[in-house]
Amino acid sequence: MRAASKRGATNRAASKRDATHRRVRFVILTLGLAAAGAQAATPANAVDDLAEQPSDLSVTVYRAPYRGSGSIDLNTLGGFALISETRTVHLPAGVSRLRFEGVADGIEAASAIVTGLPDGIVEKNREGKLLSPSALVAAAVGRPVTLLRTNQKTGKLTRLAGTIRADAGGGAVFETSEGIEALRCSGLPESFSFSGIGDLSAKPTLSVLVRSSEALTRTVTLSYLASGFDWAADYVATLSADGKSMELGAWVTLANGNGVGFPAAQTQVVAGRVNRESGTVEPLDAGGPILAQCWPRGSTSDPPQYLQFARALPLGADNESLLQNVVVTAMAAPAAMRFLAKKTVEQEELGDLKLYRVPDRTTVASRQSKQVRLLDRSRVPVSRVYGADLASEEDAAPAPAHLLLRTVNNAANHLGLPLPSGKVAVFAARGDAQLLLHESGMHDLAVNEELELELGDAEDVQVTAVKNEAILDPLRAPLVPLVPGALALRAAGVSEIHRVAISNALATEILFELRLRLPEGGRVVSADHPVAAKNGRPIFRLTIPANGSVTVRYQTQHTTG
Amino acid sequence: MAARLLVIGCMLCLLAGAPISAADRSLSVTIYAGDLALVQDRRDIEVKAGRQRIEFQDVSAQIRPETVSLTAADISIVEQNFDFDLLTPAKLMEKAVGQEVTIVRVNPATGAETREQAQVLATNGGVVLKIGQRIEVLRDDGLPVRVIFDKVPDNLRARPTLSVTVIGGHAGTRPATLSYLTPGLGWKADYVALYNEADSKVDVQGWVTLTNSSGVTYDNAQTLLVAGSPTQAEGGARQPAYYRVPQSRPTVQQAGTESGSRERLGDYYLYPLAERTTIANLQTKQVSFLDVHGVPAEHGYEFRNHWLGTAETPQSAKSIYAFSTSAHAGLGDQLPAGILRFYMRDKRGDPQFIGESRIDHTPMGSTLSLATGDAFDVKVRAVVDKRTRLNSTEWQSDMRYELTNALPRPVTVKLLQEGLWGDARISAESIKSTRRSAEVAEWAVMVPANGKASVTATFDTRY
Repeated sequence: MRAASKRGATNRAASKRDATHRRVRFVILTLGLAAAGAQAATPANAVDDLAEQPSDLSVTVYRAPYRGSGSIDLNTLGGFALISETRTVHLPAGVSRLRFEGVADGIEAASAIVTGLPDGIVEKNREGKLLSPSALVAAAVGRPVTLLRTNQKTGKLTRLAGTIRADAGGGAVFETSEGIEALRCSGLPESFSFSGIGDLSAKPTLSVLVRSSEALTRTVTLSYLASGFDWAADYVATLSADGKSMELGAWVTLANGNGVGFPAAQTQVVAGRVNRESGTVEPLDAGGPILAQCWPRGSTSDPPQYLQFARALPLGADNESLLQNVVVTAMAAPAAMRFLAKKTVEQEELGDLKLYRVPDRTTVASRQSKQVRLLDRSRVPVSRVYGADLASEEDAAPAPAHLLLRTVNNAANHLGLPLPSGKVAVFAARGDAQLLLHESGMHDLAVNEELELELGDAEDVQVTAVKNEAILDPLRAPLVPLVPGALALRAAGVSEIHRVAISNALATEILFELRLRLPEGGRVVSADHPVAAKNGRPIFRLTIPANGSVTVRYQTQHTTG
Repeated sequence: MAARLLVIGCMLCLLAGAPISAADRSLSVTIYAGDLALVQDRRDIEVKAGRQRIEFQDVSAQIRPETVSLTAADISIVEQNFDFDLLTPAKLMEKAVGQEVTIVRVNPATGAETREQAQVLATNGGVVLKIGQRIEVLRDDGLPVRVIFDKVPDNLRARPTLSVTVIGGHAGTRPATLSYLTPGLGWKADYVALYNEADSKVDVQGWVTLTNSSGVTYDNAQTLLVAGSPTQAEGGARQPAYYRVPQSRPTVQQAGTESGSRERLGDYYLYPLAERTTIANLQTKQVSFLDVHGVPAEHGYEFRNHWLGTAETPQSAKSIYAFSTSAHAGLGDQLPAGILRFYMRDKRGDPQFIGESRIDHTPMGSTLSLATGDAFDVKVRAVVDKRTRLNSTEWQSDMRYELTNALPRPVTVKLLQEGLWGDARISAESIKSTRRSAEVAEWAVMVPANGKASVTATFDTRY
């Protein structure tokens, strides 16, 4: 008791202290008091009230947070979207259950926000039971239904009043005046006819229990996050004939795997990685067919057979139908598309992310992927750099060098804009035709960062590494105490001489970067070519003459033991 | 016999509708944060004198039967059973072994029906029947045969059912309370934070989110939410520690010391819902509990490098938002564990999602620092420039951190080098570090607008 009054005093002090600053309350509590005089309505007898269809829609698609830089996978869209719907609602006086029908199936109910309602949201609900054959049966257990049975010979339909006794385990057991039977175990066409659908909704539905002192019409905005979306940037780089510059174009490919479409929506995509937490998965029963599992139905002539029934797949997992309905615009046709895309997305800053706005309203249809132009840049100078990355301890048989296109993302190079991560396909022109050279991934690239595009292996440039000699130098080595103060074992200093030969079968002189991976604590002590460091590792920057070769010799030192 | 009659009577009344109307039933549900709920079901029950069985069909399908207790005046409990043998066609046939059923053959040519009595001999793989003196396999020829059973066996039920055998002292109606623990009901908090970049303030709304996957609907229940998860012995629904995702970076920078105005039970905060509510099966329900505007917030950047972490390509720094839960210049409330979603307005003024972060139960007066995601334009490349072996036991590691900022304004990045273990000494550094702990060194690095900054440090370590 004393504790309670003390707590009360603290409360008063606390509320006085911050009265101007904070408004913390239980909505229900406040409303409960305010409404007590006016209405006797309780949530239990709330009136159903359907919100109008959206008058305005906005869809912002975020990429799958942990997907690499590759393309989106239409089978498993791992990204999500923020959907905002503007709807008109007509509220009666009293408590009403305001229903928003046709929200995306992938709705994360916990993220839903409703703004614009009078200050009286009692609670928000997302019903997990959708109207489906199995949900109908489940809702009708213990209630009267009509059994329909068709005589296959005469076509005569028999209607029989009965009660569903159970729907457990996918089978339906019902009772009529004749006795207890199981649905569709007889081999006769049998079905139920129901008198109503109860409170099951056809589409994913969010409802808000709201209390209003008077009848009013409002425009409200419903925003929520929904899974089953994704987007990616798909770049096409086209090398010029001399290989010294490229054209860079990109598409934004966004996809909606939900069963709900968003007509004439303001559409945005957001680049950058946002943090997602795996919240509790909200339960949703997407329903399924009436399975009518029966008793064992083996016969004497057949080997035992186990009946396989289709399992109800979760929403969005229906790969086949997803694939059939997907509209994909071919991305590997840059030349033909370049002049079709007049409008590109508009980029703006969104905190530490980049937001790209599709200039015109567009329809994000259900189970569809669509493409919008991201950028088109031409005459971007690139340098071709050949290279090899070798571990110094091992000999390497002749192996092709890898080839990179390198440039810097700045205005001088006709770039200088944020480049969202995505797949890059590099093409080269051969007459009028385009040839694909290589595909690789690119991570989010800010302005002024170095852009490197992989071009794969260059078979004409071969690299061979050989360890020429190794010298163990115990005298130079420090002592390693095995047991302090007692025994000591000499560690050995190791000095190695390596030789790397680079041959060039091309008719042009090339730039070559040879990078080394040394053992821990190792260093290059001498070399016959200048050695530099890149990201903490030695690098030789070489020029290999046309149809010529270069051999690099270097000596390393490290300590073993 | 009396018990049998009661069961049948109860089943009949079930067929007609709910056995007990909502009016004389009072449910109260206490939901803990970790997928556990205490259900208390008060209702008037009809008790006869002597031994009898009382059935409760509308209990959670995930009930923990060992926690059930039924209290009422003048009854003593003999035993409690939780029956989960459910009525399916296969079970119905299985329980009919040895008993008579009616089979109805339908002539495919004429549609004429023939009725016969049959005894079910076995249901192994297929159904074997004895019709008169003949033995037949049901629907062996594939032709339609209906099977009609006389009754549903007593212990097969449409829904999992709790039954309690009691001895009543005197006959009559009396109030009874059935209480039990069940998983499948849980709650968490969900927060919506709208960050205003212009004045660095954040508006926060808090919602409690209830989820019910316990298989039953709780009608018109008085609901109490408890912020905290009581320890459960093994076998409970609580997730073992190794299933829980480890917290990668701490969200609470400074734990608070202020007391809130919320009701408490022991060390748990209580969130009672002011109105009775119906928690439908598979429903997600949200109720508001917090709405605060204009709380000062700080936006910063943080980059953590693990020991000897070296990168070929620059890595994005994390985008961090920090604010207080204090009554003074803060949210002024303790926050139950949940997920905080950040929004920010785009150029057109529409709120857009910019990332989310999980928070633990947070006392009032704490300072929260939450990462919303990676910063596109602020990056760090950490490089091990050189590792030198000084002698047989000591190493020197030269680290270089290159910070870049593509934003048109200067930013300060909190650069953290982890994995120092306590033994590592910083023998040289380009700017002064603070050692947050033996494990972590921290630099606050100013990176100019559209510019670069670099930090170098030399660490001396043994082994």
